[in-house]
Amino acid sequence: MSMSTAPRHRTLVAIPAYNEAATIRNVVERVRLNLPDSDLVVVNDGSRDSTPAILDGTDATVIVHLCNLGYGRAIQTAVLYAERAGYERLVTLDADGQHDPAQVRALLTEFDSGRWDVLIGSRYVLSQRYTGVPFGRRLGMILFSTIVGLVAGRRVYDTTSGLRVIGRQTFSSLTNWQFVDFHAEALVYLMRLGFRIGEYPITVEERRHGSTMYSAFSHIKYPLKTALMVVLGVVEASMTKRRRT
Amino acid sequence: MTLAGTVAGIAIGLTMLVWVVNLIRSDRLYVGYGVIFILGTLSAMVVLAVPPLLRAATRISFVLLPEPSLSAAAIVILTFLMVYVFIQISVLANRVMRLTQELAIRNTRQGGNESDTERPR
Repeated sequence: MSMSTAPRHRTLVAIPAYNEAATIRNVVERVRLNLPDSDLVVVNDGSRDSTPAILDGTDATVIVHLCNLGYGRAIQTAVLYAERAGYERLVTLDADGQHDPAQVRALLTEFDSGRWDVLIGSRYVLSQRYTGVPFGRRLGMILFSTIVGLVAGRRVYDTTSGLRVIGRQTFSSLTNWQFVDFHAEALVYLMRLGFRIGEYPITVEERRHGSTMYSAFSHIKYPLKTALMVVLGVVEASMTKRRRT
Repeated sequence: MTLAGTVAGIAIGLTMLVWVVNLIRSDRLYVGYGVIFILGTLSAMVVLAVPPLLRAATRISFVLLPEPSLSAAAIVILTFLMVYVFIQISVLANRVMRLTQELAIRNTRQGGNESDTERPR
């Protein structure tokens, strides 16, 4: 895709939002305040509440999915947008206000060290424990963190973090393969392709509005789907590497 | 069931597994549907391979179905047909997703600080 002008900033902050009317304005304002030297895009993933109207009242760039495609596809749309617009790096943030945009600066500084292709804002990398996490969720986190360690050779403690800095070098890989939620399956796929994934400690606030995107049924389906995609990601990464050589 | 029958059943199951996994890998079958087929096939293979489970399943099928072997064949055929239908749904869903993403990017509403950034095409 050709571009006649380069983007004004090197960094694009992307916020996938689905029915986040209670928090989205505040998140957009905090990003603007804390990251004035970054561009901002909100991917409205087919929200059915007043999120679109609230976004109209902000100066954020808005990408609208006409129907809900899910978190993974919303992130993928942001990656596609960043790739085509020529951004050097993409920062993803959750729309529920759990992430403090002020912490992104430290992540970007670490990312600029050149050691990482993807840097994850991690809640657990310092303590390496999942204290305060409900039992079922903790079990899943330990499971997928261990799987990533076994399969990709480097343990990632926070595989489900929504705060990430993604380097341009990974964009084409992320748009060419399918992901469930851009969690363990995406990390394993990227690591097996040779990309360097790192974690940087962050703190998160408790979600004050809305509910998690995972229903009771998806607590059963999510680990199965993700585990399957991890296996397929390993196969696909090997085939991609073989095709390249 | 005879040994030959069990081997044939497991062979069908393995074929099904390989087929479904390859469909997911090539993005022709949505991973959510694939997981259901994989779990169903694995369960059927476990039932076939473990004699007490197979005896229990046979007893139940005798009670529920008048012609168990014919019904089993019908179930296998129906399962393959279901996979085919889900492939078509997945292919359509993929097209809708790609279309939605492309439309969304093309119709991006530019914000305040990106006024000098051209919209991606």
